[in-house]
Amino acid sequence: MTTETLRLLWKSRREYCFNLSGVTLATYLIVAVTAPFIAPQDPYDPLQIQAWEASSPPGSPAGSGYVYWLGTDGLGRDIVSTILYGLRISLFVSITSTLIAAFIGLTLGVSAAYFGKWVDAVIMRVVDLQLSLPTILVALIAIVTLGPGIDRIILAIVIVQWATYARLARGVALSEIGKSYMDAARLLRLPRWRVILRHLLPNSMAPAITLIPIELGHAIALEATLSFLGLGVPVDKPSLGSTVANGFQYLLTGQYWISLFPGIALFALIASINFAGEGIRHRLDPRSRSHGL
Amino acid sequence: MMTIVLGRLSQAFLLLLVMSVIAFAGIHSVGNPVFNIVNIETATPDDIQNATIALGLDQPFWWQYFLFMKNVLSGNFGTSYIYHLPAFSLVMSKLPATFELAVTAMLIAAPCGTLLGLFAGRHQGGLFDRIVLRASVFALSIPSFWLSMMLILLGAILMGWFPASGRGTTTVWFGMEWSVFTSDGWRRLTLPALALALPNIALIARLARAGTIEVEGQDFIRFCRAKGLSPQRILFRHTLPNISIPIVTIIGMQFGGMLAFAVVVETIFAWPGVGKLLIDSIQLLDRPVVMATLTFVSVVFVGLNALVDLFYAVLDPRVRLST
Repeated sequence: MTTETLRLLWKSRREYCFNLSGVTLATYLIVAVTAPFIAPQDPYDPLQIQAWEASSPPGSPAGSGYVYWLGTDGLGRDIVSTILYGLRISLFVSITSTLIAAFIGLTLGVSAAYFGKWVDAVIMRVVDLQLSLPTILVALIAIVTLGPGIDRIILAIVIVQWATYARLARGVALSEIGKSYMDAARLLRLPRWRVILRHLLPNSMAPAITLIPIELGHAIALEATLSFLGLGVPVDKPSLGSTVANGFQYLLTGQYWISLFPGIALFALIASINFAGEGIRHRLDPRSRSHGL
Repeated sequence: MMTIVLGRLSQAFLLLLVMSVIAFAGIHSVGNPVFNIVNIETATPDDIQNATIALGLDQPFWWQYFLFMKNVLSGNFGTSYIYHLPAFSLVMSKLPATFELAVTAMLIAAPCGTLLGLFAGRHQGGLFDRIVLRASVFALSIPSFWLSMMLILLGAILMGWFPASGRGTTTVWFGMEWSVFTSDGWRRLTLPALALALPNIALIARLARAGTIEVEGQDFIRFCRAKGLSPQRILFRHTLPNISIPIVTIIGMQFGGMLAFAVVVETIFAWPGVGKLLIDSIQLLDRPVVMATLTFVSVVFVGLNALVDLFYAVLDPRVRLST
């Protein structure tokens, strides 16, 4: 299966949109990891920030020798550095929460299918409850209850996202349970957790994997939105979303660069994830290939 | 039919009940609203004590919830701690603003999205199709708050065509304030409505495109072509009705979502709607208003979903509803 996957991805190497998104994502990851070494300034360190250089337009020279290529924000933080550091937080929050949500959702969905009866009923009613409410509403209630902080925002995104995986995995698992390898696993008297986690889960995962890029894009946008509403990450450790939010009050007086550039970075990140996800889905799902979706 | 409607209603009711417990517990655990009401600098411990008793916050949690439910069942959500007005009528007074915003956005999004999707899907893989597909991914990737801010930057600050925020002059109609009857109101409505409409255009266009591709391959369309009907007639009289179910679903759900999702757009454009009220009340810990807003938004959302479900049967006689 893996070689087949690689072959399909290799075959599509000439599609520039897909490639461009791949290159962008790789750049983002490298930049996020190496931010402390390549950023001209540590925006979390008050000693490196010159308050009198606040709100400098793009291209102004800094007192300490370098140039603020994208300007500074209202507190005097270099926008380039804020984007680099903000990217770390945005990526960390979204990747962690998406992976946790996928794991919890898949496990619960598969367990619901395996155990059936009341376990199934309880899990699926909770899933129904959640999917019938708008995402932002669930996220707002969750974050209001949990309070602010990076760990809380991860938890809030997990709470919002697990249900989608659970519903999908349950459907697949129901059809897998009848297959002979499951009978074999049960006849071998393997412990239940082993049957579920080592046999049923890996075989029910495939459709849910294509969900991960979509949900990753949603997670980044959701983190940014909550931070924008002032309910997300703390002010002294801004993510991309909260940097854009901080620039809002300066936008009306024409200091557009504080929101514009971090916003472009955020937009490009979400767009590349969506394009990459779309490309992968398009290639791995034969049905969508014939439909051209 | 009656049992189905009743079944849906009882499901929806249960959903709302669970929702209210979670929200009540949530808002209860956030902080003490008393500190936002009394003046912290001058208040004596006695004042705080009196305020707590006056608001009923000295009671145990379950008793507060019981009292809240008892009042809600008689249509009373309590009085806002901040505005000193009945919470529910406060929400209702903000409703026209949100409603006209959502309706305008949907009136832009639904026809634009459907047309784009129909024409893109008719020639699958063509230039127009590829442009629509790519553009839709971009449109769905823009975070709504940044889109709103860029619309303000472009339309209000650089070009100066539209005002950046607020609702402007309103006219009273049926005892509610509306801004769709003045040209100033329309100018103020344009930017926020565009901000809400853009992602929906993309969403509807993708759905309409997928549906068109599927339907155009079926025998009855081939039959229409063989009969010599014009492409336009086939598209609008034969394809469009057959792709309407997913489109109506998404319009219904997105409309409900807008009443809730407008939180972000309303905050940025300082549009005095339900979403902005919710965020302001959360920040001020104004519990009665938060509960009234959440209940209202959930009722609308759940109600719209049920309505969309029932509407299927009207659109497609083959659909049989089951509980």
